[in-house]
Formats: sequence, structure tokens, C-alpha cells
Amino acid sequence: MAANEKNPGGIANWFDTRFPITDLLERHLSKYPAPTNLNFWYLFGFLMIVVLAMQILTGLWLMMNYTNTAEEAFSSVEYIMRDVEYGWLLRYMHAAGASAFFALIYLHMFRGMMYGSYRKPRELIWVGGWLTYVLLCAEGFTGYVLPWGQMSFWAAQVIISLLGSIPVIGEDLATWIRGDYLISGITLSRLFAFHVVLLPIMIIAVVFFHILALHEIGSNNPDGIDIKKHVDKDGVPLDSKPFYPYDITHDIYALGVFLIIFCSVVFFFPEGGGYVLEYVNFEPANPLSTPAHIVPSWYFTPFYAMLRAVDFSLFGLTAKFLGFVTMAAGIAIFAALPWLDRSPVKSIRYKGVLSKSFLAGFVISFFVLGYLGAVPPSDLKNLLAKVFTVVYFSYFLLMPIYTRIEKCKPVPERAPEH
Amino acid sequence: MKFFFIVLLFSSFSFGAGGGLSCGSIECDKFSANTSDLASLQSGLTTYMNNCYGCHSLKYSRYNRVAKDLKIPIEIYQENLIFDGSKPGELMKISLNEKDAVEWIGAKPPDLTLEARIRKPEWIYTYLRTYYPDDSRPYGVNNKVYQNVSMPNVLEDMQINLSAAEFDKVIYDLTNFLVYVADPSANTRKRIGVYVLLFLLLFTSFAYLTYREFKKELK
Repeated sequence: MAANEKNPGGIANWFDTRFPITDLLERHLSKYPAPTNLNFWYLFGFLMIVVLAMQILTGLWLMMNYTNTAEEAFSSVEYIMRDVEYGWLLRYMHAAGASAFFALIYLHMFRGMMYGSYRKPRELIWVGGWLTYVLLCAEGFTGYVLPWGQMSFWAAQVIISLLGSIPVIGEDLATWIRGDYLISGITLSRLFAFHVVLLPIMIIAVVFFHILALHEIGSNNPDGIDIKKHVDKDGVPLDSKPFYPYDITHDIYALGVFLIIFCSVVFFFPEGGGYVLEYVNFEPANPLSTPAHIVPSWYFTPFYAMLRAVDFSLFGLTAKFLGFVTMAAGIAIFAALPWLDRSPVKSIRYKGVLSKSFLAGFVISFFVLGYLGAVPPSDLKNLLAKVFTVVYFSYFLLMPIYTRIEKCKPVPERAPEH
Repeated sequence: MKFFFIVLLFSSFSFGAGGGLSCGSIECDKFSANTSDLASLQSGLTTYMNNCYGCHSLKYSRYNRVAKDLKIPIEIYQENLIFDGSKPGELMKISLNEKDAVEWIGAKPPDLTLEARIRKPEWIYTYLRTYYPDDSRPYGVNNKVYQNVSMPNVLEDMQINLSAAEFDKVIYDLTNFLVYVADPSANTRKRIGVYVLLFLLLFTSFAYLTYREFKKELK
């Protein structure tokens, strides 16, 4: 409450004695000590907050004109595109926003993996972030169904029928989730409810926790050093700078660059080459006609490739079920990272050649699987998908071994000059 | 270096397509839409309304929206291009009965409002120009792009009586119109987009200068 000692009768002081708003804002925003050595990779969290706000606002306005029934959903989207003032802008922003959100969250997660941001004492921050990602996948999937185009319908059909592969309870579970024996208006209507109420509330709650936890513990940095070891007489880390004005100016500059890219897509390439809005999805859902290639959105293709890579049954379990488990494990395994990494150092900068190689292998496999999941399968592609699924998982599963046996470089006490 | 990763991320997803011929049994002809060419759009609309609209609705679009965008006075539009007494504000639905259509032609003619977004404009442009005689088919014609298509060659008269270049132009205008009607806000969108990007460039320049000043302070 330091800010109000000068003026004890002021309005700010009235509030502060009832709710410590100044203290709260200073701790979480203006005076939050950010490490001095933060780089480019530390911009994506801020950008995601902006995208989240944008998705909520554009989503709210889209909802005012969208109809969540099988008969009307598709034409209501075209109504938004044609008859609602700037409806096309809302729709294109919301669609491109979904892709942007995933692009940013993948970069943000990769940053954490590079610099060991998941390591003690940030395990809960990491798991909270991972949970946001899982919720975002659900949000992306449910949102994708709403325009009720061909791909909306058939992607929902494929994904929900995966649950049907679970032994014993599968078929009943899938029927329960669909609310029908096939994807129908009933399914659409419930996915709509999840998309606009349940999931956004959960995402906001988890993101709030993620940021609160971060601000209590403090940010990691590219060198993985603990900046709280060296503090000045007020307890402020020497290797830190206040968020305002030093970090916020960097973030706003980054926002400008991001918006240039984002608005170029929205205004000039709203279909994003078929990756933001898929061409097949401009055809209304038709339960009687299956599209030649059912492809998920680009942000799910690495996991879709894993699903397809498993084409063999084992121990009496079907290939479909094993593929589903592999795909789910590919997403779930991120949560285990804090406990898989046994390295004495956090950042890749000081880790050995094994960690660097496995991380590189992970990145390459993610891109290759992403490609393979987007194209029609062939024998060679299926073999590649198998190989890279193994490479993907080896980054995680072998981590307890390779992080322990490799030789690391010494970590400096203080943040290096940059 | 900074944006290398983003570029990498986006570009890696763009080499997904490919394989096979782009237009059925042949490669698509090149097509470059120009939705600011009003004369072309008006000619395409006229061709559409007189030859296609009997079977193919444009049910997500409204008569008066097309009239407004194509700068056709609504009275002229109503007199010449609305055949069933619909009001200008109505959706461009047709009166063809689905059951009858299936009985007469063997298939339900699809709505074409979004056809140019579902299939590429190149596809439409090539398809409409590659009908050829084939006695084994009910209407005596077949198509190189769409094998065993149900639709008769509605534009046969034009294909025979016009020169190749004239006919190409008719189909160009028709395809151009379908590109317009699939995304009628495109011209507005691009116009606004230029201003948005100019503003953002200015904004980002100042944001960068501010960032640079504060960064100096830290050293």
C-alpha cells in the first residue's frame, strides 16, 4: 500500500483499506519483477491473453446471430457472413483466432521445454498450462463442429466414434456423449453449450490460476537461473526489471508484429490456404455422403498421424483403441515432464548434447507428424508416421535416462549480459 | 531469426495438398478472379440467372445484395432478373422440386452459393468448358473434369455458336460471378485490410521505438 501513504484521505486509499487493489496491481502487473534476460520466446503468453480476450468478444457477438440447430446452423453462419454488419469480420477473426491460439500455445510450450520452465518449483504452473492446452483442444474441437459443414460433421463423427473403441463401455459411452446413435442436432446443440459456456469458464479459471501461480513463484528465464538468490535491500531480485515499463513495451511491440501477421490472414487470406477454414466445410453437413479425406484442423494433425500410425491390434485390443490411446498419451505426456527431467540444470543452454538431440528429434517429429496427419495415407507415409511417433515419445520416455547420464555445462550465478 | 520459427510453423503446413490431376482427367486451366470488374460480374450474373438459376439456387444470397454490390439499379434488376415475383430482399431460392429434379435429371442440383469456395474457381472454369459428345450418356454429353456428370450441357448453344474466345469469356464471367457470390464481402474486406495494415505498421513502428528507448535504459 506504499503508493497511498502520501494521501490517506484519497479514493485509492479508501479502496486499499477495504481491498488491497494497489498492492495487487503492483505485485501482478506494474512492479512484477521480470528477469532481465527474457527473450523473444517470452512474448507468447501475453499474446495469448490478447487472443483469448478476442475469442471471447468475437465469440459473444457471433453467438448473437448463430443458431445451434442442425437445420439452421449452416445457414446462420452464412447469414452472419452476408447479412450481419461486419459479421464476416467477426467470423474470420474467430476462425483465424483459433489457429493463432494454437500456434502461440505450441510456441509457448516449446519455450517451457527448451528452458526447463516446468522444473521445480514451477510444476503446478506447467500442469496448469498443460490443462489449458487440453481444454483448448476441446474448445477447438467443439467450435469446429458448430458451422455444421461437411468436415464439421465428419470430424465429429471420427473423433467421437474413437470413444466407441474403448473395450466394454465404449459404444455406450459414445452414444451417451453424442446423445444419439449418430452425430445429430442433439450433438451439435450440446457441443455448442460446451463451447460457449463450460469450456470458456474452465479456460479462464485455469489461465487465472496459471498466471497467479506464475506471479507467486516468478518467471523462469532462458538460462534457468534462480534470480531470487541475489536480491537488493527491498527484496527485489538484482537480475530483474519491473514489468512496467520495461516488459510491457516489449509485449506491445510484439503485439503489433503479431497483429500484422494476424490481420494479413484475416483480411487477405481468411481461408489460410484451407488450414484456417477448410474448403470442404463450405458444404453443408450431409450424413449420407462421406468426404474423400477426413482431415482434422492443422493443430491436431500430429496426433491424428499417431492415431493412424497404430494399425495393428495387440493383446486382444483393437488397432483403433490402441491408436486412440497413443493419441491421448501424446497429449497427456506433457504433464509428466516435470518428473521425467532429472537434469541438474534447467535450460537447454547448459544441458548436454543428448538433451539437445532429443529435443531436436521431438521438434522434427512434431512437424513431420503434423504433415503426415494432413495428407492422405500411403504405405511409406504410414511407416514414417510409426518411426516419428517413436521419436516423439522417446523424447519423453527416455528423458529420465539421458538427462542423468549426459555432461552439463556449469550454470552462471547471475544472468549473463545480453 | 525471430520470426523464422513462426514462418516455419505456418509454412510446414502448406505443402499438404497435391497428388493426382487437379481437374478430373485433366489439369485445371488457369483462372484469376477479378471481383472488382463489375461488367464481368454483371455479365456472369445474367448468364447465371438465364441458364443456371432454373435448377441451381443461390439460397444464402439475397437479390438486393447482389444488385447493390454489382451496382445494378434495383428496378432494372427486378424487371429483368427476378422471374418468380420474389421481393428484392428475399433469399435467392428456386421453386424446383427436389423430387422432380431427381426424377428428371437423376440427381439433385446443388446450391451454388458457395461452390467457388468448395471447389476451386479453376475447377468451375475448366469444367464448364470441357463438355464433349458421348452417346453412351443420357444427354449425349460427358465431361472431362466431372466424369459421367448428371447435368446436361446447358450452354451447348453458346459453345457451338460463339468463337472459342467468346465462349471462354462467357464462362470466365460466370465463374467470376460465382467467386463473388461465394464471398461477397471480399472487396470490402481487402479495402479495409489495407488501412488496417497501414495503421498497424505505424503503430508497431512507434511501439518498437518506445521499446528501444526503455531497453537502452536497462543497460
